Amino acid sequence: MSNAVIELEKVSKTYGSGAAEVKAVSEVSMTVERGGWVAIMGPSGHGKSTLLQLIGGLDRPSAGRIVLDGSELGTLDAAELAAVRGKKIGFVFQFFNLMPHLTALENVEIALWLGGATHSNGRAMELLERFGLGDKAHHLPSMLSGGQQQRVAIARALANEPDILLMDEPTGNLDSGSEAELLTLLGELNKAGKTLLMVTHNIAVAQRAERVLQVKDGRIVADTRKGKH
Amino acid sequence: MNLGKLVWRNLLRRRGRFIFTLAGVSVGMAAFVALMTIGQGLTTEIKKQAQGLGANLVVTPKGWCAYEQISVLTGEQLPEAIPMSDLEKIRAVPGVKSAVPYLNEKTAFRNQPVPVIGVWPEEMRALQKWGIESGRYFNSPDERGIVVGSAIAKQFKLKPSDEFTVRGKLLPIIGVLREAGSKDDIATFIPLTLAQQIYDVQDKVSFIAVQVSDLEKIEATSLKIQEVANVAVVTDKQLLSSVLSIVGSVGAAMQAVAAVGVLAAAFGIVNTLLTAVHERRREIGILQALGSTRRTLFLAFMLESGLYGLLGGILGVTIGILAAYLFGSYLTDNAFTASLHQSQTVAIDYGTILLTMGFSVCLALLAGLYPAYRATKLSPVEAMRHV
Repeated sequence: MSNAVIELEKVSKTYGSGAAEVKAVSEVSMTVERGGWVAIMGPSGHGKSTLLQLIGGLDRPSAGRIVLDGSELGTLDAAELAAVRGKKIGFVFQFFNLMPHLTALENVEIALWLGGATHSNGRAMELLERFGLGDKAHHLPSMLSGGQQQRVAIARALANEPDILLMDEPTGNLDSGSEAELLTLLGELNKAGKTLLMVTHNIAVAQRAERVLQVKDGRIVADTRKGKH
Repeated sequence: MNLGKLVWRNLLRRRGRFIFTLAGVSVGMAAFVALMTIGQGLTTEIKKQAQGLGANLVVTPKGWCAYEQISVLTGEQLPEAIPMSDLEKIRAVPGVKSAVPYLNEKTAFRNQPVPVIGVWPEEMRALQKWGIESGRYFNSPDERGIVVGSAIAKQFKLKPSDEFTVRGKLLPIIGVLREAGSKDDIATFIPLTLAQQIYDVQDKVSFIAVQVSDLEKIEATSLKIQEVANVAVVTDKQLLSSVLSIVGSVGAAMQAVAAVGVLAAAFGIVNTLLTAVHERRREIGILQALGSTRRTLFLAFMLESGLYGLLGGILGVTIGILAAYLFGSYLTDNAFTASLHQSQTVAIDYGTILLTMGFSVCLALLAGLYPAYRATKLSPVEAMRHV
């Protein structure tokens, strides 16, 4: 498919060697179209997170090739890979992963700085205001609720206007109210053209995506699509 | 947000650890500065005293050790061992312009030890170019009286026509010398013959200061003196270097102690930063996920380490100079430095300050290398590790 923004070709990841070898991801091939919303489901320890790490350039595969928005990750050196992470991808984590000693605003600014944004004056504040956090800009994460923290994390992930958002259990630590809010927000981002890829345990959350991949033993065992609403 | 701001925030986030690590660096550097400062002050002062000697050669009994050589510079009590007959022989050596005897003794005045030096009045005054503050100088080579240094006069509130006791003998004070800024300020002087009489050392002196007529032939003159008399001869330069080498070796020992302190402080930085790398492994992963290169991570930790060195250096220099002023006189208080004004033993030198700051920062950067390297070896996958 010419419009693919994420392409995996026989990607494997093994840990250890010899008898202790563990194959976390085993010859996975898949594509995600630009503007798609894909949920990855499956039991714990079956390779979902490893798959996300490989796609996000946090780790390198033992075999196979990954192409992200036209760049083949295997051909990039460490610094180029860091640049891909900073500019093309936004990460959202289960535990929000905000810097505890920096304010909400600074947490967004740090992503702007690392992504190499040159004229970023006011952009961090703009993002926070967009997610209803304008009045919390100078609060430390510990003073924010889980839902607010996750919105700061999403603002941070969007700082450098990446096309792709990779999310690891984004609703895993949210109450149902915050979860619904977050899913609405994700829906809006997807409509605006962002490609979303998220790992989740929650079937209700997964059903908001337009496509659900089932992972088991490091392989994709099911690929269910539904029409866009 | 930029690297500097992030590093500054990281530095201050564990206040207690920051303060104690910084205290370690500061104390280490302070010890370094204090000892450097005191040592330099001492060296400068010794050189000044050696110039005040006014002689090119010093004739001493054979077998004197360095401590006795120091006493030549300080005016401390010395054994009397050179017979006057040798003095006459030395005066007759060609190339000797003048040879002036010293008999270094000591008396107790109002329960304080005071150096009493037996000299030839006219020859001594010509050599030292003494000025008279009040009263007058000796009129004859064996006048029964005493001339006192300015500091002694001040200490005991003495003026001409007061009485002074040397070994129980009452002597009238003839005059007070003008301040010379040397050991002469804290000594008293009487004619040699009187000194020999009071101390019962007929025909002996402690050492002889010799001026040569031609500096080019100083070696030959020195050898000639040793031929005619059974004595040892050192040049003023040899004397200075042997004294400096003793002070230097004491100074080196003190600096070695300071170096141990500085080294311990450097390990303190390594320890603090390694703990920080461990604590922040998840954050380091997140920074990498956000696009940070390894170079940025490395720089961040090096900068954090360098700041410990810079701040510790600033604090250390400040504390060290204060300490040198407050305690310098106690540290260097011994037979030699007793003759020096206390403030003279402390020398503040911008070179020392810059050297210390540079040393502190370089050492801190060196200490930061390993933790910074460890930080770059962490995988960005740490960001997703579930705790």
